[in-house]
Amino acid sequence: MTDTVIPISPEDEDDLLAAEFVLGVLSLPDRARAEARLRQDDSFAARVSAWEIHLEGLNDDYAEVAAPDLMPAIEARLFPKAETRQGGWRGNWFAGALGLGLATLSAVVLAAFLLLNPAAPGFTAILTAEASDLRYEARVEGENITLVQLAGAATEPGKVRELWMIIGDAAPISLGLLTAQSVTLAAIGPADGVVLAISLEPAGGSTTGAPTGPVLVVGTLSTT
Amino acid sequence: MLDDPIAKLLEDISAQDRAAFRALYSASSAKLMGVLLRILGQRSEAEDALQEVFTRVWLRAGRFDATKGRGMTWMIAIARNLAIDRLRSRQPTTSDDETLAALVDSAPGVESRLVAAGEARRISDCFATLEPDRAAAVRGAYLDGQSYGDLAARHDVPLNTMRTWLRRSLLKLKECMEA
Repeated sequence: MTDTVIPISPEDEDDLLAAEFVLGVLSLPDRARAEARLRQDDSFAARVSAWEIHLEGLNDDYAEVAAPDLMPAIEARLFPKAETRQGGWRGNWFAGALGLGLATLSAVVLAAFLLLNPAAPGFTAILTAEASDLRYEARVEGENITLVQLAGAATEPGKVRELWMIIGDAAPISLGLLTAQSVTLAAIGPADGVVLAISLEPAGGSTTGAPTGPVLVVGTLSTT
Repeated sequence: MLDDPIAKLLEDISAQDRAAFRALYSASSAKLMGVLLRILGQRSEAEDALQEVFTRVWLRAGRFDATKGRGMTWMIAIARNLAIDRLRSRQPTTSDDETLAALVDSAPGVESRLVAAGEARRISDCFATLEPDRAAAVRGAYLDGQSYGDLAARHDVPLNTMRTWLRRSLLKLKECMEA
């Protein structure tokens, strides 16, 4: 085999990008871009699915490893007791409060009740959106709130993620910019039931005092 | 779907069937744990990721389409994507933006002709058409979640050479599997 350069058609380029995404060889920023395109471009999504199926024979090489029974923890995440009322987690009340972008998020909110440290009073939330791999954990301790990105792509260049607090029907209040994987911000007022949302803003953050870009993830604070 | 019990469970889960969700965990958690542990390398991190995978499976089950592929393939894709995202997040990012930025901006191509469940059965035959070290690079990337940078270091070649190798190998694989 020679490594001479051969012309690659645009279709082949798309297909190679899909293959590289499925293989997992891309850097984090390039994965993020491919993931974003995956959500918007059905043709590209079909190429990714095709490569997942092309390469599925390799899955036989993954050995089975017995896993502990994590279902109680998984069910506690998905079906928190306070949220199991009919329609409880699917309500539109916070969509009205935010008023933008949320329709595309399918309004899936996971309030997570982390029982890791019952001695320390505080509030936590897991911020997610159904159509996204992005996931943040928020933890309130005293007058500080710490946001840790647990999963999902990095912010695209030239943009920044901004954290908002929504109390009841009031307008969102900016708590600051999420400029690193883990950020601690000052926040007076976060309490049980308060909604947190992260929006995508131009570098430097929203200049209007309200979210201007799409809302990426949402979550509700609950007591730990 | 008769020969794919995982697909049947996913269909039930999309109708909010929690018993099916537990059955799915019993049927698939060992395989997914194997995937996550191999890519992430740490048991505690793999267990945390496994919880996240099943959370996503519950939320996305309605989007699984049994006419387009097998249930386990779909679940393993979710597990691999999560594990690779986490792996990349904890590594310093080596930018391979230059060539790819252009690709992302290119117009969507025609509808892929590739989609057909079961088409991939010939993967091992097709791997045999690649030079052994290049087949090993593709397998390593897929199974272990290695980046272009990792692969270049392991095979002791420049990153661009590795990218050229791999992309040529992928084109050959595609050609073989579509033949």
